[in-house]
Amino acid sequence: MSVAELKARHVAATETVNSLRERLQQKRLLLLDTDDLIEVVAVAGYAKAHGKSSVSFGATDLVCCRTLQGHTGKVYSLDWTPEKNRIVSASQDGRLIVWNALTSQKTHAIKLPCAWVMTCAFSPTGQFVACGGLDSVCSIFNLNSPSDKDGNLPESKMLSGHKGYVSSCQYVPDEDTHLITSSGDHTCVLWDITTGLRTSVFGGEFQSGHTADVLSVSINGSNSRMFVSGSCDSTARLWDTRVASRAVRTFHGHEGDVNTVKFFPDGNRFGTGSDDGTCRLFDIRTGHQLQEYYQQHSDDEVRHVTSIAFSISGRLLFAGYSNGDCYVWDTLLAQVVLNLGSLQNSHESRISCLGLSADGSALCTGSYDTNLKIWAFGGHRKVI
Amino acid sequence: METDSTPMDDSLPSPGEPRREDQHRTPSPSTLLPKTQPNGFYGKHRLAAAISNLQNQINYLQEELDQLEEIGEASIVCKELISSVESIPDPLLPLSKGPTNINWDRWFKGAQNSRKRWI
Repeated sequence: MSVAELKARHVAATETVNSLRERLQQKRLLLLDTDDLIEVVAVAGYAKAHGKSSVSFGATDLVCCRTLQGHTGKVYSLDWTPEKNRIVSASQDGRLIVWNALTSQKTHAIKLPCAWVMTCAFSPTGQFVACGGLDSVCSIFNLNSPSDKDGNLPESKMLSGHKGYVSSCQYVPDEDTHLITSSGDHTCVLWDITTGLRTSVFGGEFQSGHTADVLSVSINGSNSRMFVSGSCDSTARLWDTRVASRAVRTFHGHEGDVNTVKFFPDGNRFGTGSDDGTCRLFDIRTGHQLQEYYQQHSDDEVRHVTSIAFSISGRLLFAGYSNGDCYVWDTLLAQVVLNLGSLQNSHESRISCLGLSADGSALCTGSYDTNLKIWAFGGHRKVI
Repeated sequence: METDSTPMDDSLPSPGEPRREDQHRTPSPSTLLPKTQPNGFYGKHRLAAAISNLQNQINYLQEELDQLEEIGEASIVCKELISSVESIPDPLLPLSKGPTNINWDRWFKGAQNSRKRWI
């Protein structure tokens, strides 16, 4: 290179340095109002720095107010109706039971053609329930249709196409006509229930997507075109139902199977729970991990996170663990404020599924002990 | 189809306009050049070293900018998150924004509820 060329490069480089210095100075000025620049990257640091204090429960604030007994096998999945007080649960006993959680009455007990059920969901109108499992099929039942001669409710639709077990299913909000499933075949599928056909396949051998079994899905309550999935490949992925060819974003961080994903109430973040024992909160727009929820223990006990749910404001994160714990996390301060697993009247075995009622007033937990329990706030409320 | 758009090169002064260089508050880059020796060889080495040094500075500054960018973003996100959480009345919290709803307490009412049809 000639001296002239070198000189030109030097000039250009110096200009770049000067311009970067200016930008840096401006940027620093803009950030001057945040007190601790280092800690703001995680929510808990920011919240503490801004004087937020932890949620504090009295000993009898959150209580178990119903125990729903009826299953004769482990409860694997549960879902509330979007209205009123009904819950559908799926169990190892090969049945779906529909409960009125308020009265504890069973309104339907559906014997499934395939006993190996893993997931169930209520349709938005409450007229249908869907379930899926090791048969690789998602079955739809119409709760208003008459039982057959054996007293069984016939399937009103069978959604076939998955090449592996159906691990999770959720109806698209506001329509009884579409639902999304996740599967051991590494894909998620958006189904048109009316035709029984797949509208879109997310991932799989011809497209980029999860590289292992997908265990969970959650649809964004604020924008039903977006959903997240969690997989044995340790990632969570955000999808746009209009673009099946690739995920909008992949979220790394977990060091084990992501067993459960749940959208945050405001629709801009989602939570995950994993075999690595942690729950995490991710922001969908920036892709950042906002917070990790993990409590150190001195023993060697394995604690996989089996299921999670957010309270209606998002302030509380309920997490069920494989060892029977059910931690209530303060999401802003990343502190455990209660362990439902150690309360009086709690489950006797691991909590496999959790769900919040539509108005946020009750939490339902389902357990390997064959029961479901309803938890609500029975203490004195203070209004800000 | 990807289109490459390059911005108009507006660093060339148009006729009659003062040279942009003279309007910089920072010293003109050309005055910061190391002095070159008459034969040019020693100068080349110095120039190359100076450029390498500048490149390191550029990398370092860019990294710092990226970090601040991220912190700025994260800070906005945290603020938003807290504000969203605190704006929604939550039946399960001991301390929450109102209004409360009398139906939240239906789980603790007595036998009267079972007389109603819920299905």
